[in-house]
Amino acid sequence: MFSKDTGMLQGTVELLVLKRLSWGSMHGYGIASWIEAATDDVLRVEEGSLYPALYRMVKKGWIKGEWGVSENNRRAKFYRLTEAGRREFEEQAEGWERLSDAVTRAVAADKLSEQAAR
Amino acid sequence: MSDERRPRFPWLRSLGGTPRHEVEEELRHHLEERIREYEAAGMEPEEARRTALRRLGDLDGVEEECSELLAAEQRAEGRSTLARISWLDVRLGLRMLAKYPAMSLVSVLGMAVAVALGAGAFGSIWALMNAELPLPEGDEVVAIVTEDERAYGSPYRQVLHDFELWRGEVSSLTDVSAFRDATHNVIAADGTTELVRIAEITAAGLGVARTPPLLGRPLLPSDEGPDAEPVVVIGYDEWQRRFGGDPGVLGRTLRLGDTLHTIVGVMPEGFRFPLNHRFWMPFRLEPSAWERGRGPEIHVFARLAPATSLETARTEMAAIGEQTAAAHPESHEHLRPSVVPYALAYGVDVDSPEQAFVFRSIPFAVALLLVLVAVNVSILVYARTASRTGEIAVRSALGASRGRIVGQLFVEALVPSVLAAAAGLALSALALEQAEAWLRRTTDQVPFWWDFGISPGTAAYVAGLAVLAGVIVGVVPGLKATGRHVRGGLQEVAVRGSRMQLGRTWTTLIVAQIAVAVTVLPFVAYISGRAISAVNTSSGYAAAEIVRARVSRAPGPPPQGSDPESWATATEARFRASTSELIGRLEAAQGVRGVTFATSFPGGGRSTHVEAEGGEIQQVSLTGIGPGFFDVIGATRIAGREFGRADTGPEATSIVVDRRFAEQVFGDGNALGRRVRLVPPAAGEGGVSEPGPWREIVGVAPDVGVQLFFEPALPKMYEPLSVDQVTGVVLAVRVQGDASGFAPRLRSLAATIDPALQLTSLETAASYEQSGIQAMRFIALIMLAVTAAVLLLSAAGIYAMMSFTVAKRRREIGIRAALGASHGRVLTGIFTRAAAQVGAGVVIGLVLTALLDRALGGATFAGDAVLLLPGVALLMAAVGMVAALGPARRALAVEPTEALQEE
Repeated sequence: MFSKDTGMLQGTVELLVLKRLSWGSMHGYGIASWIEAATDDVLRVEEGSLYPALYRMVKKGWIKGEWGVSENNRRAKFYRLTEAGRREFEEQAEGWERLSDAVTRAVAADKLSEQAAR
Repeated sequence: MSDERRPRFPWLRSLGGTPRHEVEEELRHHLEERIREYEAAGMEPEEARRTALRRLGDLDGVEEECSELLAAEQRAEGRSTLARISWLDVRLGLRMLAKYPAMSLVSVLGMAVAVALGAGAFGSIWALMNAELPLPEGDEVVAIVTEDERAYGSPYRQVLHDFELWRGEVSSLTDVSAFRDATHNVIAADGTTELVRIAEITAAGLGVARTPPLLGRPLLPSDEGPDAEPVVVIGYDEWQRRFGGDPGVLGRTLRLGDTLHTIVGVMPEGFRFPLNHRFWMPFRLEPSAWERGRGPEIHVFARLAPATSLETARTEMAAIGEQTAAAHPESHEHLRPSVVPYALAYGVDVDSPEQAFVFRSIPFAVALLLVLVAVNVSILVYARTASRTGEIAVRSALGASRGRIVGQLFVEALVPSVLAAAAGLALSALALEQAEAWLRRTTDQVPFWWDFGISPGTAAYVAGLAVLAGVIVGVVPGLKATGRHVRGGLQEVAVRGSRMQLGRTWTTLIVAQIAVAVTVLPFVAYISGRAISAVNTSSGYAAAEIVRARVSRAPGPPPQGSDPESWATATEARFRASTSELIGRLEAAQGVRGVTFATSFPGGGRSTHVEAEGGEIQQVSLTGIGPGFFDVIGATRIAGREFGRADTGPEATSIVVDRRFAEQVFGDGNALGRRVRLVPPAAGEGGVSEPGPWREIVGVAPDVGVQLFFEPALPKMYEPLSVDQVTGVVLAVRVQGDASGFAPRLRSLAATIDPALQLTSLETAASYEQSGIQAMRFIALIMLAVTAAVLLLSAAGIYAMMSFTVAKRRREIGIRAALGASHGRVLTGIFTRAAAQVGAGVVIGLVLTALLDRALGGATFAGDAVLLLPGVALLMAAVGMVAALGPARRALAVEPTEALQEE
């Protein structure tokens, strides 16, 4: 599990939330469940940190919250992506890809390439 | 948080709830779903709950953090909502006005009337209580006012001796001065005479104004000496009018009364100090000619000494007043000198902070009228908003927050209320202007610094009213329409229709408003009716052909060293002789059909009590009239005869009464030959102290003069008068043709006989009666406007209520119709509730009217007027029915199949 003091985690949660909401609005529980499912349970979001993250993203203007009725006919707060959020998602996704590519390459590199680089 | 924990204030939810509640609810949803998931996976409920809670972690911490974030977000959004109120919202507001023209017109008119009344009240009170003296350092000029405790603190002005004392003694004031407000005939070289107001003022007094003359010099102390040449300073307008602006006017003479005065100065344009004067003469009153506490009435004023406060001056004057009262108790025991700002000394008499508060709160009481109107309008708007729930739901779905929607409704409501405020302000400005012009026309006693124009204060007050109306009309219905119990997204609305209700609050408001209308209307109708009937009464005599004037004589000061009493007797004798000669000359003058006189004319008369022989004691109005009075004024007699010269001897016992007297005192109307006598009133106050001699009625005259509604309609009695019996009568001169052209001739003739003879209120009898009538017309107009507004709004309120009911119960109507209900049954079923509300309002209103009438003495609706009450009830019922026509027709037009399909 990723622990909280990996500085990466907050940014990661945001990216995942943005990804989920890019398909349509969803409430907090739904977002948490999706993250578990999509990452094969590898990332179990510390639920205590999901909601503050959601509210911070509202403050940044990336998502908006509205009360509605869930599929179980209960009142729930649904979040959806704003224009700014969509742009932010694209940027973050691209950044993540580059980062993960770079790290993957570095981790897979063998001593030979290292010497060649020198 | 356990699942069982509930928010502390469930009712807050209807307002949208606090951030804390929102966060709690959101997390509760999360927990419930998580628990459901675990239970579905086979966990026991208790274990599922524990695991879910554990997963959430520090629940309180999360709630805390999220609540703070949400609260900050809501604050920021509130600020940006305000910023985003844009021109678009205003355009929407205008479009709403156009879309519902009838309702908009009713609302704007109703609010405009209320705003006009409020602005009128505010503007008048502001002008009176915030008046400023438009002179250099005008706020330092004060008046020394002596209050007479025996007369409820009214000003006592026979303070010549005190003025001498204060001039020398008071250290907190400088330039202590005085003026006497006198009238004199100004007689031009060609004989034209004008009666003008002159300020006999001390030299220092003119200096208090710190305004140097345009030409020449001001008055000097040397002008006040007993042997000084008579001089006068004239105003700019007089200089232009009488002397054509001649730069060589200094040294020319002007005849004032029986003395020629030399013009020594001309004051600049617009200068009218001390009250509203255009001539200034030296102050020549010697205290030694009168006893302490007696003498002519003077006004005392001064400037505050440098770096001295009003309080200090007040304290010093109070101390001096006490000393004087101790030294001269017989004349000064009840007198209290005080210091007030000069500009406030001639307006509303405000003695205490409490009184000032009462006066200043009048406009805010009047503002309640606007609240009433605005609440009414908001009922209409709310009913209309109910039909916009779909639109509101769409806005919500598109991202508008509740604040944004309510803000938009507020701006929409501001559009009509700003229009109404502008219209109301313009209306009141016009009314105040007319009122001020009328006031200045009818009397020159209006202080020159009074300004009834629109002040910044009035504009701010009206702006406040507009915002208040906007809040009541827009925000309140908006909050209810976007409340928690109503919001549910588009889907909900489509499924269930609007969930808005016309709940108890609105119903109570509608009933209350109908009750108020029913209560107010009879009184308003009564006053308007009296006012209008008075306006339309003809005077009963040839008012347009008669010139009237009160004859008096300028009481000049007794010469030095003479005995005031014998001087007064001589003056009176001279006055009577002049008056007799004037009457004689008039009778012989060309174009004059007749001359007569009375103690008052037209109207007036002294209130007294008489006893009819064998009858009761009645209150009547007594007027003394000259011989042939009714014949001269053109009132055709009814029975008996007029007074002749023989009736005026000391043994005279003849009386003439008017028709009202004959009918009221002698029910059969046959008064000739009957006897009456003056008696003390039953309660023992005023009037004669013992019964007078019996007098015989020799004539019955027609009712003469216009009856103003605020004067009691007393029966009239006339007694004979001869010229040498009175000091100061009203002359009535009937001329051939137009009487208004005769007035200047009359004045000149009087001045030729005796320059000190003064004619006041010299005008035709018709125009004299006009001023009272004009005031009543104004009042009647206002009353009618208020009545129309009240009726209109009541009708609109009922209409809105019924429309709303029909819209909400379409399905039900459809079902009833489908089941074969007749039109009557349909209408009864739908409108019973509404009719009950109108009925309740009418009944409550009638009860309130009866109570109010009793509180006012029970006399308002005597006689025919009692028909007003059922009349108003019927009127409201009729209004209700007319208002219900539209909705009723719509109800009957509902197709059962259509209505049932609206699922």
